[in-house]
Amino acid sequence: MIELHNVTKIYGTDVTALDRLTFTVDKGEFVFLTGPSGAGKSTLLRLLLRQEVPTEGTLTVGGRELATLSTREVQAYRRSLGVVFQDFKLIPTKTVFDNVAFVMRVLGVPVEQQRRRTYQVLKGVGLQHRALAYPPELSGGEQQRIAIARALVNEPQVVLADEPTGNLDPDLSLEIMDVFRDINAAGTTVLVATHDRALIAHVGRRVLHLESTRGARAEA
Amino acid sequence: MRALAYAWQEAVASLARARWTLLLSIATIAVAFAMLGAFRVVSGTVERVAGGWSEAAEVSVYLDDVVTEAEQAAIRQVIDRSGVTSGVTLVSKEQALARFGAEFPELGDVTASLDANPFPASFEVRLSEAGMAGGADALAASLAALPGVADVRFDRQWLSRLIAVITALRTAGWIAALALVLGAATTVVAVVRLSFEARREEIGIMALVGAPVAFIRGPFVVEGAIQGALGALAALGGLSLLGRALTRALGPLAAALGNDALRPLLWTDIAGLLAGGALVGAAAGLLATWKWDPQGPLAR
Repeated sequence: MIELHNVTKIYGTDVTALDRLTFTVDKGEFVFLTGPSGAGKSTLLRLLLRQEVPTEGTLTVGGRELATLSTREVQAYRRSLGVVFQDFKLIPTKTVFDNVAFVMRVLGVPVEQQRRRTYQVLKGVGLQHRALAYPPELSGGEQQRIAIARALVNEPQVVLADEPTGNLDPDLSLEIMDVFRDINAAGTTVLVATHDRALIAHVGRRVLHLESTRGARAEA
Repeated sequence: MRALAYAWQEAVASLARARWTLLLSIATIAVAFAMLGAFRVVSGTVERVAGGWSEAAEVSVYLDDVVTEAEQAAIRQVIDRSGVTSGVTLVSKEQALARFGAEFPELGDVTASLDANPFPASFEVRLSEAGMAGGADALAASLAALPGVADVRFDRQWLSRLIAVITALRTAGWIAALALVLGAATTVVAVVRLSFEARREEIGIMALVGAPVAFIRGPFVVEGAIQGALGALAALGGLSLLGRALTRALGPLAAALGNDALRPLLWTDIAGLLAGGALVGAAAGLLATWKWDPQGPLAR
């Protein structure tokens, strides 16, 4: 599903964020991406989101080499992903419902179907009663669950999460991880970047450990 | 259509949030487009009046009091063969005196007290379309050189000079109006840019979740178009009020020039101003977001 072959990312002329990184994530896998600060977790997620392209090497997701995508194709590719950010990245001026339904709206999904699917995913994260609230009115845990609902609403094949529990307390973090485990159980490929070893132990799945500019090492 | 409907909703919501900057923008556009509209009205009116005067222009060939019949026949022959006339009338000295008396009856005593008739006989030469287009200048010059001709007056010469001056002023006016429109467009760019910057975080999120570029840029283009159209509409309202005031103030002048001399704004002008305002605004909205890159840095 996700294939990296000798992916190198160099900023400027001499700052190497990733050095000849090679690994594969199969369809339906749940993989943790871990490593110390500065190891390149965020860079790798930016590459996977096609915010940047590798300096060298190839990165393909679902058979598409990301570096070759046009602007239009990049946006279509992003719509095929579900992405959860550490800082939630919810649009503060839109209601919870509109934040979640937004991707379906731009895809032209009929309004009734948007409504049904949005309430379905909100129910899945236990927040259907907050549909008309605005993000600033929600707690951190609630906002993250809304962000997960947004990531899932389009039934993506791949979910990427960048430190999704970084702003949450331990109990909430475990709850959020259970949500990801359920998503994965339904057949979705999940890649979670985190440095929280307790969470990794809680979920107990394959770990890719990034070491500073030396590539990835499989731990479990 | 989805993108347009979304852009419209977002643009209206955004403009409602920023009423004061919207008013500033509309006022700037209104001034620029009011100038454009005013120049359209003025230039249309001037064209009508000058056109009417041009059509009425004729060559008057005044004859010497001692002109012979042969000289008179030769003059008539030159006129007839010129190919630039549509008609010619010989006005005798007596007819000229009678015409003066009819047009200025209050001066009857003056003409009656004269020993001799001071008015010359003349040929009044009406011009064909070819004559109006410029052939009359050569005719006037050749007639002036003939024996028996005391003077040749060609109204269109001073009229041409007047039209040349008006054309120059009109060109300068158009340039000034276009400069104002450019200034208004710059204001729209600034206002839309402010709106864009205020929503930069939201736009970044939309880009990350895969919103098509049309959904991201569209609201700002529509925002600019709405500002432009509202500015043009305000300009039309101002022009309408100004037009009514001028019609009242300049009523006697309009009557003197002919009732149809004052050219109002036509529907095509109104549609043109509205469409022009919307287009200028939309272009400004597009320009305001032009440099934005939905994929962020792409250094390789």
